Amino acid sequence: MSMEIVVVAELAAGLPAPVTIELIAFAKALRGDQTAPVCVFVLGARIERAVALLSEIPDVAVTGLAGEALAVYSAEAWKRVLAPRLADIKPRFVCIPHDATGADFAPGLAALLGAGCLTAIESARSDGLEVIFRRSLLNGKIQAEVASRAETTVITLLPGAYRVGGSVRINPGKQGGEMSEKRLLAAQAKIIPVPEMALVSRPLGLLSAPENDADLAAAEVVVAAGRGIKKEENLSLVRDLAALFSRSAVGGSRTVCDAGWLPTRLQIGQTGRTVTPRLYIACGISGALQHLMGMRGSQFIVAINSDPRASIFQIADVAVVEDLLVFMPLLSDACEKLKKGRLSL
Amino acid sequence: MKILVLVKQTPDAEADIRIAGDGESLLAPENGWRMNRFDEFAVEEALRIREALPGSSVDAISVGPARVSAVLRRALAMGADKAIHILPAGDQDLFPGDTASLLASFVRDCSYNLVVAGVMSDDAMHGQTGPILAELLGIPCATAVVEERISPENGRITVERELEGGLREGLELPLPALITVQSGINRPRYPALSHVLRSRSQPVLTVPAAALPEAPRRELLLGLFWPAPSGKALFLEGTAEQKAERLAEIFSERAFL
Repeated sequence: MSMEIVVVAELAAGLPAPVTIELIAFAKALRGDQTAPVCVFVLGARIERAVALLSEIPDVAVTGLAGEALAVYSAEAWKRVLAPRLADIKPRFVCIPHDATGADFAPGLAALLGAGCLTAIESARSDGLEVIFRRSLLNGKIQAEVASRAETTVITLLPGAYRVGGSVRINPGKQGGEMSEKRLLAAQAKIIPVPEMALVSRPLGLLSAPENDADLAAAEVVVAAGRGIKKEENLSLVRDLAALFSRSAVGGSRTVCDAGWLPTRLQIGQTGRTVTPRLYIACGISGALQHLMGMRGSQFIVAINSDPRASIFQIADVAVVEDLLVFMPLLSDACEKLKKGRLSL
Repeated sequence: MKILVLVKQTPDAEADIRIAGDGESLLAPENGWRMNRFDEFAVEEALRIREALPGSSVDAISVGPARVSAVLRRALAMGADKAIHILPAGDQDLFPGDTASLLASFVRDCSYNLVVAGVMSDDAMHGQTGPILAELLGIPCATAVVEERISPENGRITVERELEGGLREGLELPLPALITVQSGINRPRYPALSHVLRSRSQPVLTVPAAALPEAPRRELLLGLFWPAPSGKALFLEGTAEQKAERLAEIFSERAFL
């Protein structure tokens, strides 16, 4: 069985997305004792800079697949371009990010190859015989270990789940992305032109989502305001924080909704809505039992309250004893800085 | 428009869920099973298309043990016209590739114009059955759909897919096609009592999986575990700034940000 490992890189604004770096580290770990380079595919229209940057990572062989047909993502184009090449290589694993793009084309790609498919993987280990992957069920309530018997298996890796070790870093400094063709070749990188192709699906481009007071039940991150916000105007602190997460929604305790600062439909608790997001951030909520009944199924709970004895801390995973009005702007700043730092990696 | 909806029965997250003695399947009390939340949106979306396009029909299909007929009844009570139950041999949990292959064997000759599925299941959270089925049927597929419009006259469907960070992506596909819908695309209806009563007398077509080609069984489940308990709250220490930075790091480490 081949031990070749393939990574399908994801780009953000023409540069390797942070998840690509994670994927490469993950792929290297999957090699076990093998030392063959990880084969990284980069798809797009203008990918020279991304290919050059990725080829600076040790132990990778980068193949760019470049063409106007790949200027905009579509599952159809991605599958059509990748499938024949992967069918030739017959890699042991194909690693793809588990995000809106990867989760869209990876299962179909696996089906096309007759390959196994394991999605939303968080980590991997080897028991000497086979590679065992770990993933979550029921929003993390339960964990599963899975494996694949197929010759080739497509893996999607949950972004952020796999810790990047110190060995994989890219440096988009002055020289990065300006490698000569000679150096590209020396670094085991090549760019293959992809001809135009007729696709049945037609990408219509990016749109911004309409202002949604997104269904609380569907949100993965809920930021909830309680009595501690003190004034209606201070709700902006809660909204600012929520805006930093994708699939987030703002909710409130009974007090906040009763005061008319938030509509009743956003009330979380026994008499309101029950939510079970991946992350619940309770801001200035004391933790009345009726509120806890509406959110205690959340996977990870962060509570911010100035009262160190607030009962919300009993069920919280992380507790912050601070004045909300001081702490919230600091937290939003810190989150924003961290996000920016990752993008400029 | 001939529409097929894929529905799955999943344990209710609120129910008393346990891991079976063999460590390979989930147990829930008899009343602890429900229609996968994402599939409720799929059924609702299919019904809305039927209501908008006269002459349309909605069939619901599910793969699983005898108990899954309850979610097919639920789909009928919501308003589906027909229900099909593919009953695999044994009670081993199927991987999505296996489910999709059983579905494809049955559906291949049924000439559906549109297949609608939930973006993933509440329990296994693979998000694979829809896109794999589309590939096996050789039809185009869009996942995480939050809005759709069908133009029956030119046989195309226009969708908006949900991306990260509040972005969406538009895509136009020729029919027949498969879409997987994201939660929030609509508000699933609550079945009217008259429909619930009617659904009890509607037949559910049961197809034993033995009548279909064997599923590929490429992946295997090695075991289920409870994650280590999180224990008491971690109280962050230091100045307000230090706590804010530490908390932002925790968000990042846990892939929330």
